[in-house]
Amino acid sequence: MQGLTAPSAIPGRRQARRPGRPPRARLAPYLFILPNLVAVGLFSIWPMLNGVRESFYSLVEGQSSSFNGLSNYHALVTDAEFWSAVRNTLEFVVGYVGCTLVLATALALLLNAQRWARGLFRASVYVPVLISPVVVGILWNWLLQPNSGVIDALLAKLGLGQPGWLVEPHLAMLAVIFVELWATLGFYALIILGGLQAIDPSLFEAARVDGASEWRQIRKITLPSLRPTLLIVLILSTITGFQAFEFLWTLTGGGPVGATTLIIQYIYDHSFVPPINFGLATAASVLLFLVLLVLTLVNFVIGRRRGAA
Amino acid sequence: MTAAGIKPAATWTSLGGRRRPPGTWAIVRTALLIGSGLMSVTPIIWIGIGSFKTLTQLLGQPLSLPTSLSFANYTGGFEQFDFLTYFRNSLIVTVCATLLTLALSATAGYALAKYNFRGRNVLFIVVLATIMIPVQVILVPIYQVVVDLHLVNSLLGLIIPPAATPTGVFLMRQYFLSVPDELIEAARIDGSGEFRTFIRVVLPNGKPALIVLAIISVGWRWNDFIWPLIVAQSPNVYTLPVALGLLSGEQAVPYNFILAMVFASMIPVLIMFLFLQRHIVRGIAMTGLK
Repeated sequence: MQGLTAPSAIPGRRQARRPGRPPRARLAPYLFILPNLVAVGLFSIWPMLNGVRESFYSLVEGQSSSFNGLSNYHALVTDAEFWSAVRNTLEFVVGYVGCTLVLATALALLLNAQRWARGLFRASVYVPVLISPVVVGILWNWLLQPNSGVIDALLAKLGLGQPGWLVEPHLAMLAVIFVELWATLGFYALIILGGLQAIDPSLFEAARVDGASEWRQIRKITLPSLRPTLLIVLILSTITGFQAFEFLWTLTGGGPVGATTLIIQYIYDHSFVPPINFGLATAASVLLFLVLLVLTLVNFVIGRRRGAA
Repeated sequence: MTAAGIKPAATWTSLGGRRRPPGTWAIVRTALLIGSGLMSVTPIIWIGIGSFKTLTQLLGQPLSLPTSLSFANYTGGFEQFDFLTYFRNSLIVTVCATLLTLALSATAGYALAKYNFRGRNVLFIVVLATIMIPVQVILVPIYQVVVDLHLVNSLLGLIIPPAATPTGVFLMRQYFLSVPDELIEAARIDGSGEFRTFIRVVLPNGKPALIVLAIISVGWRWNDFIWPLIVAQSPNVYTLPVALGLLSGEQAVPYNFILAMVFASMIPVLIMFLFLQRHIVRGIAMTGLK
């Protein structure tokens, strides 16, 4: 590990190590951090590096055989299914993230202004977040069934017919975005609520004395002060969107005709569902990793700037 | 409202204590919140109601209520599908993985927060950077590691790989930074060894963060799907989400049994939430807002 040779003394930091300390105590921090490092190395860093390496090899039965340069990537970018999965993923992420920002902010503003039964409302919008994604998929698959589902039954009662939510490709994408919003909105609303409560109340006092209307206060004080929190929600929900897989597996299975097959399902299918094609899976994984890397770095830089401010 | 009597009287600089009848805005707001609350909770209640209906009722009359309070779906589902095995597996995996996460995160977090050692910053960044490597992007290579370690199709294979989480290390480190150095120094002066100091002095002081981390971890592991789906390949090691996910895709499985098992699988998490709501809200503040 190059870490062991890196200079440790940070200017201005107190040196905890003293000359009098026995060598065993000097070893202590390494022993404390070792178990976690072993686990992280085995189950995260090594597989990641190995995955990048394997994306340049042709893999048969999970064993890398021969170096084949960029041919996995070439096969990937010429695969129509890959581009279909990319398009679906982008459609899903844009729809999901956009709606999350607007609706979670609205929900947080409502919760923040509420006095009566606020705790009850906060708890109830958070309940779907606790449900496992697999169960979320099963639940909404049941509710959205064409004939026996309660949603269509209600719509039929109102004379609106049966739209076939999970059968019609465009409706299926809408339904999928809606379900993911249902399952996660409470989490983001609570993050934004935390941000709202951190705003200095004297700002609002001053605005009220100046006679600013409620809406004007939201536009001029709340939203600008909330910007860092909203950026975090933007990044977190984008990452969540790119990783969507589990609830889709039980909601649509990627159908109808691949309309809700997103990138993770593409990777999973090529890795574990015959006919297996590890080359496509590893190349797609590396590209997805690069997207997530950029998003996380952006998140980190924003966090840094926010911490410095 | 008993608080109204204690509030200071309204002056020209404060709005405290001023009572008005609820305006239109307050009524609209409350209505919207009731709407969102119902939207969130009704589907879950509806599945609870549905789990008591017969199969013919479920297929033929989606809007009807169950005619009798019969647990036939539960007993039928549990007998036919080994629900208790899946439940037990989920419980074992959740408890063991959470304990392991706590141990790994607390030790690493303590080293990073309270020791000055060569390579500390690099190691901190390395651990944090793994947050960019979700299991979804290393499905094949991590599966190969687990194959090499002979952990496929075993509960250990479900427990160990997800246990080291950068979120946990970060959370514990941030919390331990606030534990005063004097406390640790005092224990050392009393002749306590490093490990003993950690167990006796540091851990008890980290309790609030450990609770938050435990709650987060329980939620993750109880609901995990993609990892157990890959590692668990025979029914005796299935966890609840894997079993439900696979069963729900099979045409031959009666839907009334699925609904009963799905509702039963939600109950532990909902009970946990009911009792630990305060901690969960704090957890969001600690992890969501770094």
